[in-house]
Amino acid sequence: MEADRKLISDLTPEIEKTSIKWYVTFFILFAIFSVGVYGLYQQISKGHIVTGMRDNVVWGFYIVNFIFFMGLSYSGALISGVLHLFHTGWRKPIIRMAELITIISLIIGPFFIFFCIGRLDRLHFLFLYPRIQSPITWDVIAIITDLAGCFLYLYLSFIEDFAILRDYPDLKVAPWKKKLYKTLSLGFTGTEQQHKILSNARMVMAAMVIAIAIIVYSVLAWIFGVTLQPGWHSTIFGPYFVIAAVFSGTGLLIILMWIFRKIYHLEEYITQRHFVNVGVLLTVIAAFYGYFTFSDYLTKWYGSIKMDSILIDKLFTDYYSLFIFANYIGILLPCIIIAFPKFRTIPNITIAAIIAVTALWVNRYIIVIPTLETPFLPIQDTRPDWITYSPTWVEWSLTFAGVSVFAMLFMLVSKIAPIISISEMQEKDKNEILK
Amino acid sequence: MRKKTIYTILVLSVLPFFTSGTFAQEVTKISPYVTLQYFKNTDDQRILQTTLTYSKNRAELPLSGMEISFFTGADKKESLAKVLTDNKGVARFELSTDFKLNSDKDGMWSFSSEFKGNDTIASGTSEVTIKDVRLAMTLTLVDSIRTISVKATVIESGKEKPVSGEAVKVYVPRMFSLLPISELTLNEAGEASVEFPADLPGDKEGNLTLVARFEENPAFGNVEKRETLKWGLTTDYSVPTSHRALWTKTAPKWMIYTLSVLLIGVWGHYLFALISLIRIKMDAKRKAKEEYRI
Repeated sequence: MEADRKLISDLTPEIEKTSIKWYVTFFILFAIFSVGVYGLYQQISKGHIVTGMRDNVVWGFYIVNFIFFMGLSYSGALISGVLHLFHTGWRKPIIRMAELITIISLIIGPFFIFFCIGRLDRLHFLFLYPRIQSPITWDVIAIITDLAGCFLYLYLSFIEDFAILRDYPDLKVAPWKKKLYKTLSLGFTGTEQQHKILSNARMVMAAMVIAIAIIVYSVLAWIFGVTLQPGWHSTIFGPYFVIAAVFSGTGLLIILMWIFRKIYHLEEYITQRHFVNVGVLLTVIAAFYGYFTFSDYLTKWYGSIKMDSILIDKLFTDYYSLFIFANYIGILLPCIIIAFPKFRTIPNITIAAIIAVTALWVNRYIIVIPTLETPFLPIQDTRPDWITYSPTWVEWSLTFAGVSVFAMLFMLVSKIAPIISISEMQEKDKNEILK
Repeated sequence: MRKKTIYTILVLSVLPFFTSGTFAQEVTKISPYVTLQYFKNTDDQRILQTTLTYSKNRAELPLSGMEISFFTGADKKESLAKVLTDNKGVARFELSTDFKLNSDKDGMWSFSSEFKGNDTIASGTSEVTIKDVRLAMTLTLVDSIRTISVKATVIESGKEKPVSGEAVKVYVPRMFSLLPISELTLNEAGEASVEFPADLPGDKEGNLTLVARFEENPAFGNVEKRETLKWGLTTDYSVPTSHRALWTKTAPKWMIYTLSVLLIGVWGHYLFALISLIRIKMDAKRKAKEEYRI
């Protein structure tokens, strides 16, 4: 397996040497993570009283973050699977990022469930006494299955790159890294037979991760959908969650493209064309997402079931700003920015993506919290400030810790593996891609 | 000059951290709530209970591990016991049945409890005056009509006298709380009765517990009588296992089939991918052997 020096240097900027910038960034992220760990220590030692969760609102920031990160993961799988399956020419510089979003989000997401559970010591009961009838059991099975599948899919995409790095004579890395590349490349030498086997396996797994992503995120949506709570009990929630996930994942992909392009000077590989293409994808998905959102709220509003009406009133009063931001600005603004060709610059598309991702997180917040603040039966003799939810510093710290771990894992991967697939980039149609 | 300015700024910025401690006012002590209650249960056991709490952020919080002294007598107090409050701020003392209580000229018993306070919590006391009441509950079944009758009497000047005009509440304990059945008012003879509903579920044998109570009565405190009898509907609470449903132990077959098909399908493809990896490894070994031979 051979590759030219420039390609390896450009696409593996942190493998041979570690820049000061890398250390400084990692240290800052680690500091944020440490604050989160301290917050978690406070929560474990003092109990959930240090969070804003109380008798009514038993799901707060943690579940919002869980849904958000799982959404990013499934969307990463969907995007990379679709791009790979349909041999989209321009996919090559960005497909690795989508794959990494999948795995890293999938590792972080479930931790928020652990933070939310009051009795972590009983966690193993989920495996000892599973009930197939319970959506929680479906979710546990789904996440494990998804994690295994995504790791396998990611590994398949890495094999050729590991073989290239193993065989590259001038690569100045520690002996353990060389050994790692040798082990993980499975002796891949790029024979026709090996290419055929690998290609078939990747195609099969690409199709699988698409299917799994749709099923698994639907399962997560059904945890809400099968619950007889105002705002949650909706048949549309499965597809709605899937679309919302792709919306956020596409936005995050654009943000990561911008960050990596800027930090590692990948202008030659990640061009405006990639931003426009993914941006157009974001616009199309935003349109679908907006349609689903409107459809969901319209039917609830028109039905005028008492609890649904109370909930919608609450969304347009107590949660007015968040609701408008999540469901109007967060959908329309990215569409407007990307729909008009003269606005389609890289910074504008990135700003649109940041708005989309933030709006999606807020959307998750207003799906989870207002519903729990609107119970069918009010709890008697409770303090008013226990009915409403307000996140504490502990929840904020763990949220930011999740984001920092996401970035740290990306940085650690960049120390071992190429951030853009070398094997994909050195294919014969490279010039065409970079055109 | 510049140094002096920097020192001045430093001193001024650090000063606020010390002032709060240096010039702080004397710490205000917590004002506790001391509540003494009298209970007489169905076995005629008498219990004095003191609850020690304080208010913080509009919530009433318990003060645990505090010593509460119980006394009897109005003018001349006689110490009964000293008990520590538990984690709910409650200190309980049971009066033994052979303990002779001195009553005043109206036949009233006086009890008090005292918390002496400490460096951070102020002291507090609470008193109750109780007249011993005898509460009786009779349950009769005539022509399939279930009737609860209660009677309350007190001893005055050595004679038993009826209690009239007071409220007695009747309950049936359910899973989480007491279900109110009726609130009766005692007549001149100290009696009251009510028909018991015939449609209340009991246990699998139809057993129900009935509770008649004086609740927070200013003269009698909390006095109750309990009786258990088969006046309820027989109810089988066991989880049905005979059929498959969302709420039974065994899941519906369609769920098992769907989940199995999905999992076999997905993990089958994973297996294919894993076999592909093994084939790549084997192909690499075969190629290496061929190269070695050459």
